[in-house]
Amino acid sequence: MNTASPYLLEGHKITKRFGGLTAVHQVDLAIRPGEIVGLIGPNGSGKTTLFNCLSRLLPIDEGKVIFKGKDITRRKPFQVARMGMSRTFQVIRVYRKMTVLENMLISRQWRGEGLLQMLRPSHPDTERRAHELLDFLMLGHLKHELAGRLSGGQRRLLEIGMALMPDPDLLLLDEATSGVNPTLIETIKDRIRALNREQGKAFLLVEHNIEFIADMCERVYVLNFGELLAEGDPQSIMNNEAVIEAYFGA
Amino acid sequence: MGFLRRVWRLISANGGIYSWLTLIAILALYPLLTPSGAALLTATQLFMLITVSSNWNLIGGMTGYVDFGHAVFFGIGAYLMGILVTVVPDYILFSPQLGFWQALPLAGLGAMVFALLIGVPTLRLKGPYFSIAMLGTFVAMREIIRLLKPFTGGGEGLDLPPVLNRTRDYYFMLIFMGVVVALMWWIRRSEFGHSLLAIREDEVGAEMRGIDTTRHKIIAFMIAAFFTGVAGAFWAFQNTYIDPDVVFIEQRTVEMVMSSMLGGLGTVWGPPLGAFILYMLQDLVWANFYNLHLFILGVLLIFIVLFVPEGIIGTLGDRSSTSLGRLLSRGFNRGERTMEERA
Ligand SMILES: Nc1ncnc2c1ncn2[C@@H]1O[C@H](COP(=O)(O)OP(=O)(O)O)[C@@H](O)[C@H]1O
Ligand SMILES: [Mg+2]
Repeated sequence: MNTASPYLLEGHKITKRFGGLTAVHQVDLAIRPGEIVGLIGPNGSGKTTLFNCLSRLLPIDEGKVIFKGKDITRRKPFQVARMGMSRTFQVIRVYRKMTVLENMLISRQWRGEGLLQMLRPSHPDTERRAHELLDFLMLGHLKHELAGRLSGGQRRLLEIGMALMPDPDLLLLDEATSGVNPTLIETIKDRIRALNREQGKAFLLVEHNIEFIADMCERVYVLNFGELLAEGDPQSIMNNEAVIEAYFGA
Repeated sequence: MGFLRRVWRLISANGGIYSWLTLIAILALYPLLTPSGAALLTATQLFMLITVSSNWNLIGGMTGYVDFGHAVFFGIGAYLMGILVTVVPDYILFSPQLGFWQALPLAGLGAMVFALLIGVPTLRLKGPYFSIAMLGTFVAMREIIRLLKPFTGGGEGLDLPPVLNRTRDYYFMLIFMGVVVALMWWIRRSEFGHSLLAIREDEVGAEMRGIDTTRHKIIAFMIAAFFTGVAGAFWAFQNTYIDPDVVFIEQRTVEMVMSSMLGGLGTVWGPPLGAFILYMLQDLVWANFYNLHLFILGVLLIFIVLFVPEGIIGTLGDRSSTSLGRLLSRGFNRGERTMEERA
């Protein structure tokens, strides 16, 4: 890691346009190692688009993204994933026709990619890690179930599991609690805290659920119409006039 | 269906090892059992269809890139063999007069290199766009071969050294088929194979989980092209004559696609089973209603698409199967995905 910067991930003046629409405009954000940061904003404010820019799924029009001290603005998504940034998706992307365990094995630590290496079956370490993570996420009993037959909440957990497989340092979770029942939300919260405390993993959480954010995050960014509206600790954000206006006003 | 399911379980279970040994013994002894050269030729052609279909299935079924021009690799293999072994150089500028065994791997490598060159731009395309680009590549290559007369003999074609040995051909193709099917079986169980299926089911998701999708697709494409090229090279040698119109036939690709679809796209045993049924059926139809044979194949294709879209093995429950419809709609679904994500 670059010692000059205290940050794990930095976005500098990120701008993303879709035709005439500027979905994200000049957004600056930074996450320290081991931090849990929230990203909130009304529907359509650009949260998912910002995620897509940070994880390199979408090319950005202006600005740059620095991860672990390296400029990743031009890197490919798979390279960023292997550097230790994992993410989940607002619209769940699990492999429905594969079992829970097979889903976990799709995502894995990469130990080089010679053809002969790839032609081997899954490494025992990879399988062990998959089993451990499934138990940790309380999906152990569903290992051999098809992912398509899980409930919405279980699929969210599975996606988090897949994101954890390569042992990332930063996880971007896009609406990890939407469509999840309250009991499972507690599970998700609990697991995020455990990962953060015990393994020092950093999180960037996009959420609708303000309570969840207030509960989990040390710092919150607020987006509105693609622009950064406010940044600060959850308490001050909740009392911020501009934020209240954006959410409830007009 | 219950009966079929039971037979299938018998074959796929470990206890099925005896069925396998019996099958291998029968195939190995077949030339001794039948004196008829025609029967051997038929069997050799069936093995060839199984081989090329399995290769088509690697890129088309397992990776999800439906190649409507895959016979281009067969053609390149055939022509490289023709050029490399031709003895009479009166119309041909370049002819090193290699032997069969020297030319064979070179033909495969040539097809593989071509797959790399054409794959880099075309494998970026999704769904039907890739299919049509490959169909175009196939048609263009036929004309290029026709135009490169000093090397390829143009429309007059090339005569290869006539060596007729049906028994040798039979064993060659039997072993070659065995190697290819075993490789597909192995790939399906490897991390590489898992990644290919992930690319087929959700390419963006695969990339975001650290899979170098471009590299995987190109490697799969190159493997499929190599073995198809070798098959084409063998075919040229066995046929002893090639010209653009006997080598570059659209129907070669159609047969690969149909075998895979009938047996089960994306499954290891689908193409061999589909090729077998298709071949038997074709034989029957050719013998009895020659005039109708293309018509009947067309009807069969429609039947598969409508009633067994995931093929026989897919219908029997193999989860690695998929349908042509799903693969071809990919280019169109992608936009929707991002739209959904906006919510
Ligand atoms: N692929 C796309 N093409 C065109 N417009 C898009 C696309 N993705 C998002 N948008 C638009 O960008 C804006 C921000 O969307 P999004 O990032 O999904 O918001 P949020 O996640 O905060 O709800 C919206 O106006 C949305 O319609
Ligand atoms: Mg969103």
